[in-house]
Amino acid sequence: MADAQEESAVQGKNAEPLEFPSLAWFERLAALMNDNRARQEKLGYVDCVAGFSVTGTRALAVQVTFDEFEATDVRVTGETDSNRADFTLEAELETWQAMIESIAAGNGRPALDQTLNRLSHMGTPLHLLSDDPLRRDMYFRFNQSLQEFFNASAAFTTSFPTS
Amino acid sequence: MSKPAASPTDLSPLPPEHAVPEESLESYELAFGQQMTTWAEILNDNGERLQAGRFSLHWMETDKANWGRRAKPSSRGMTYADTNRVEPYGQMPEKAEWLNFAPRGSVRDPYAQRMPVLSAYDVVDRNELWAENVITLYEEAKARQWNATRDIPWDELKSLPEDLEKATCQLCTFLTEVEFVAGDFPAKWLYRIPQDFLEVKSFLATQLMDEARHQEVFRKRAIAGGGLLHASPGFEWALKAIMEAPSHTMGTFLLNLLGEGLVLSIFRSGEMIAKTHVDKEIFRLCLQDEARHVSYGVMELKNHLDNVPDRDAALEDMHRFADVGEMVILTAFTEAALIEPLAILLGGGVNRIEQGLEQAGALWGNFIEEYLGRCRRAGFDRSERCGIPTQAPWLQ
Repeated sequence: MADAQEESAVQGKNAEPLEFPSLAWFERLAALMNDNRARQEKLGYVDCVAGFSVTGTRALAVQVTFDEFEATDVRVTGETDSNRADFTLEAELETWQAMIESIAAGNGRPALDQTLNRLSHMGTPLHLLSDDPLRRDMYFRFNQSLQEFFNASAAFTTSFPTS
Repeated sequence: MSKPAASPTDLSPLPPEHAVPEESLESYELAFGQQMTTWAEILNDNGERLQAGRFSLHWMETDKANWGRRAKPSSRGMTYADTNRVEPYGQMPEKAEWLNFAPRGSVRDPYAQRMPVLSAYDVVDRNELWAENVITLYEEAKARQWNATRDIPWDELKSLPEDLEKATCQLCTFLTEVEFVAGDFPAKWLYRIPQDFLEVKSFLATQLMDEARHQEVFRKRAIAGGGLLHASPGFEWALKAIMEAPSHTMGTFLLNLLGEGLVLSIFRSGEMIAKTHVDKEIFRLCLQDEARHVSYGVMELKNHLDNVPDRDAALEDMHRFADVGEMVILTAFTEAALIEPLAILLGGGVNRIEQGLEQAGALWGNFIEEYLGRCRRAGFDRSERCGIPTQAPWLQ
């Protein structure tokens, strides 16, 4: 897995960088997940709609639908989509940026203090939002898959808006 | 030259050992030899038929069978949901009457008189075990299995400073201790559930496997890091209270919703404070399994309360049970052998245990909020009656 990721990281880094936050950035993660079905089959089913929200001046909210072993839908959260997501992870751009940079520096493995659970467990800086405890618990049921969804960002270069 | 050692033939024979108490064996012989003799009649019939060279072929009769209604796989393969869509295989009784192994949906009525009855099958009410998410959770559990021997990067394990290593090993000792009960509890009830509730039995089997793996991985982590440390009486009483719960629903509430909800918080904390990628991986994989068990606990309680004939009486019974359950769980979760290593890991060392306790206090508040939210989701509002303080005892 690490070798494959490293190889694709090298290939990916020759391509145009993708800006975060953007729909295209999440679409690339979805494509990488779908291209690596063998890994997803090892991790197991992931069935949820996850919201990812960047707050602040470059605010963007995206929803990714996971079904079985694939990310089947990626969209900017619309007005009628508020209840679609089982849970949403929300943070300032700086938090997302630090996590994504850590993943890139670790060739697909974030530093100990930059995992999704590490950032969200105390409720800050990454907020886990959901109205329904059962749907909120999906974040935990599929945590490894969600972590690896983001870890795949090491395969390409991410650019961030300059302040 | 010294005398050669005695050969095995020189030794006196060992006295006969009775692995099974004599009276148990006698009782078994009596039961199947003289009291329950239907099997002997069946054997006799079979013998006569075979000696006469006749075939029965009654099993090819499909008049009373549901023959020819074929299940079709979905994108995931053939799930229970796929086979349950074929009538009448998905029809589940409110109360199980087949207290033997005859499969639900098979031709079994003609044989009822000759079937044995298993008295162990005494959890016969669907309201005592069903949850609407149980098939989904069963499929998810099978798909998300992992291997504590191979899927953890054990070779990356590094020695930690002594205080942190001891705290990690004590936390793992605690988790090894509690994960045993999380396997024994479903095992205790699994064999009491009739085959008509095969989906629940299947899910409980996955929970057993999950818990076996958890005690395995924490035992290995402790021994690889220095060793197992202290067991604790406070944990043991909580575990005993789970094991001896008076009903499956009550025990599932105490184990899956409350107990595993708390352990899920500890797993998440374990991932958060892990000092190595090895520990990160262990806790992240375990927390996924635990969250499935919590989800079953929530929906099993909801199903129970939604379907009992007298909801008010059932709620009061659950409250009485929870009044006790919360106190024994509180006993476990205030033990020094749990709180102190957690605080040391949160604070970053034994010299920062006070700061760690403050962080543990914040986690305590989050956990109680989650627990009460899950209770409400199940239709069981404990907010006015919860015996566990919303603020950690050491912060009061």
